[in-house]
This record gives sequence, structure tokens and C-alpha cells, in this order.
Amino acid sequence: MAQPKDRRRVVVTGHGVVSAVGTGTDAFWTALKNAECGIGRFTLFPLEELYIHIGGEVKDFDPKEHGLSKQFLLADRYSQFAGCAAQEAFAQSGLELPLQGDKGYRAACIIGTGIGGITTMEASYKGLFQEKKRATHPLTLLKTIGSSAAAHVSIEYGITGPCFGVVSACSTAPHSIGLVYQMIRQGLCDLGIGGAAEASLNWGTTRAWQAMRVLSPDGLFPFAKGRNGTVLGEGAGVLVLEEYEHAKERGATIIAELKGYGMTSDAADMVNPSIEGASSAMQIALDDAELAPGDIDYINAHGTATTINDINETNAIKRVFGKAANDLSISSTKSMHGHCLGAGGGVEAIATLKAMEEGIVPPTIGFDEPDPKCDLDYTPNEARKRDVTYAMSNSFAFGGLNAVLVFGPPPA
Amino acid sequence: MDEVATKIIDILKKNMNEPSDSIALETPLTELDIESLDLAVIVFDIEDTFSIEIPYNANEEVEDFATVGSVVDKVKSIMSEKKSSGAAA
Repeated sequence: MAQPKDRRRVVVTGHGVVSAVGTGTDAFWTALKNAECGIGRFTLFPLEELYIHIGGEVKDFDPKEHGLSKQFLLADRYSQFAGCAAQEAFAQSGLELPLQGDKGYRAACIIGTGIGGITTMEASYKGLFQEKKRATHPLTLLKTIGSSAAAHVSIEYGITGPCFGVVSACSTAPHSIGLVYQMIRQGLCDLGIGGAAEASLNWGTTRAWQAMRVLSPDGLFPFAKGRNGTVLGEGAGVLVLEEYEHAKERGATIIAELKGYGMTSDAADMVNPSIEGASSAMQIALDDAELAPGDIDYINAHGTATTINDINETNAIKRVFGKAANDLSISSTKSMHGHCLGAGGGVEAIATLKAMEEGIVPPTIGFDEPDPKCDLDYTPNEARKRDVTYAMSNSFAFGGLNAVLVFGPPPA
Repeated sequence: MDEVATKIIDILKKNMNEPSDSIALETPLTELDIESLDLAVIVFDIEDTFSIEIPYNANEEVEDFATVGSVVDKVKSIMSEKKSSGAAA
């Protein structure tokens, strides 16, 4: 699908991350490069009646320490993660904030979530049903809704243009980023913040996940023979996107160009992914970027460490990349920060951007023995030096919802 | 066929698109048009029916879930373990 030659180009001028391996890109990236694992025993809630005891928690997160404003201090943890990530991304962008006048209307704020403030809701129901409290806290509803992170960020930064949350389980962040990209490209906006936040680690949600029988009690070991399921994580990952000329004019530091975006739906099964859906999303993103498979150096894989996903993703990559699949560096950084669900693709987009910036491919850790059915180069256990000019970030969600981003270097 | 087996076959049938009347103890689960999520639901139903907990991870191939008979055996062994540990307590 060729695009007109004079299309508006979209660049990344800021990013912000909250994760189990670090809050802030510096801590996050240092951990990934050094193959550090952020997965450990749950501390946020009691473990009674759980047989899954591990997750990727954001440890000792204190919104006050990060200097968040009062509106965020009263919000759910998921919105606080978004606020923290947005603060970092906007600071890096060097934009004058809050946006004033018409500039606000030319900006978008699309910050999604898999499930929003569900821990607030859990505590509220516990109070009502178990403790027979007379009322819920007055902010319960505002804290819970899946658009609250987007709304809080828009209020903080004067973003008066399009603002809402996207919901697509584990593809939420790339769908949100992709929407901002399209709005800028089509001329609706000049800049925007896109990504997602998730803070759904609580007792009830873990019960629901363990009932699906897809979690590993041991760790998240993508593409390895010994993998036995995924591990829940939490966090936020957001990007500040900007129209290229707009960024150039104000002398912004351009981190990368968002070259392509592909989205498809398997329309087949809630949990069993299809090669068709995943491969067509990758192909559409490549076509959108006007790149050939051989141009891509690195794929940050969805790599959930479930038996089915990792084989399906491997086969989908092979279908799109053909012989070039063997020259790719692939890794699943989920092995370190856990599966951040809605926020996953946002957190992973930042790992992808740092890989490009520093010429270092982050590893897939916990990779003991290769699975014969997963036979590509997954960058086992140690980071590797490699010039990464173009990179892809894959997200494939429950329900068969696929979203793929392709990044390239800043325009020359 | 005993009561445990009959109840388990009923649960399997309930979770099949086109329930077959010819389910026997030696029937492999792979022949029953049961997918991974179906199996999680089936295990849940069995746990509820017999008030037991069955260790099961959809990412692992487990012999206990090879045939209808092996599921029945597994359930019986968990039930008898529960009984003996209950008696000891």
C-alpha cells in the first residue's frame, strides 16, 4: 500500500517508562542491557489460595517521590504509572507545557489500558460485600474507568485535542501509539502522546489469570524449550510523537522516526493465535514503512512464553521475512519485565528505540535450551552489539488483536 | 462405568460443540475437538463437581490428560489423597 510521497512524517521526541526493572528509561535500559530480571515474589497482596506467586511488580513505587501533582496522587496506580511515564516523555521532548491556546487542540492524548483501575474496584467491592461498608470512596468510579489515565495526562499538559483510552488487551499500547501516528500523519494533529498503562496485579486478577492455566509458577522463558507459561507484569510505556517539520522547527532532538504501523484481527479464536493475523500485521507495517523484510535488523517479539504464542510468532516471522528471518536479531524483553499486558507494547517500544540508539540488542533471558519449533536467533541470555537501523515491535493480544510498529532512524 | 467416570464424561460432553455418544475411557482427549481454553473450563468444572483441585498448566503436555480414562484416574487419586489427608488431620 504505497503512500503519497509528500505524506507527513512522524518522529519520536520523547519516551517514558515505568516497569519492574526500573522507572525511567535510564534504569529500565541499564537493566535490560545487563539481563537483569525484575520478576519476583508478589508483595502487593496476600498469596493465600494462589499457586502462582510471582510477577513483575513495580517495586516501591511512590508517586510523590516522582513529583506527580495532586490529581495523580488521588488516582489509581495505573494512572499514576501513566503520569510518571508522561512526565518523563514530555520532559525529554523539550516541549513548552502545558500547551497553550490552539496548540492544545492540535495535540492528541491516547493512553489506553487493558483493564484500568481494577485494583481500586477490587478494594471497593471487598469493602461493600465483605466488610459491609456503608459507601464506596467518592473517587472510586473516576479512579476505575479506563479513560482516566488519558484524562489526567490531558489535564496536566493542556492537551485539548483528541483524548481517550484504547482497549485491546495486550495490543493496547501499540494501537494507541499507532492512532496518534495516524492522526499526525493525516494532519489532524501536530503532536501527541500515545501508549498505555497497566496496574492490574491484585489478588482477584491473579485468581482469574491462574484459572486460565496459562501462567508459569517459575518464570517467563520465551522461545526456550523449558518455557511453561507467561508471568504477569505492570507498568507504563508512552511515546511523544511529533510531525517531523514541527519537531525540526523548534529544534527538538529527534530520537527516531515511526515509519510504519500495521493492525489486523485474527477473527478466529480468543486464545489460539493465527499465523495469518500476526504475519499480515507485520507485512502491513513493513509496507506502510516502505521497507523490505531484509531492512529490519531487530524485532522486539511479543514472546509471551506460552507454548502456542512463541511457535506461532516464529512461524509468522518466517512467513513474512522468508530467508531474511535468519539474519534478524529477535528478543523478548518480557523475560525481564514480565508481561505488562496493555502497557506491554509501550514498554517494549522503548526497549526497541534504545536498541536502535545504542546499537545493542537486549537479550531474551532464561533461555536454557532451544525449542526445535522456535529456531530463530532470539538473542539468548546476553545483550549483543549490533547496528540497528530499522526495528519492529510486535504485539498480539487475546482475541487475536494484532498491532505492529516499525521504527527507523531520524530523517536525514 | 462408575459414577466418577460418568460425571466426567458428562462434563466433557457439555463442553463439546458436537457431543459424541461414543466416549469411552480409552478415548484420547485430542479426538474430542477440545482446545486449550475448553480444557481449562473442563478442569474447572471437574474441580467444582468433585470439590478438588487439579494441578494443570495449558503450556505443558501432561499424561494425566491423555485419555478420558487417565483424567478419571487422576481425579480418583486426588479424591483419595484428599480423603486420607483429611482423615489424618
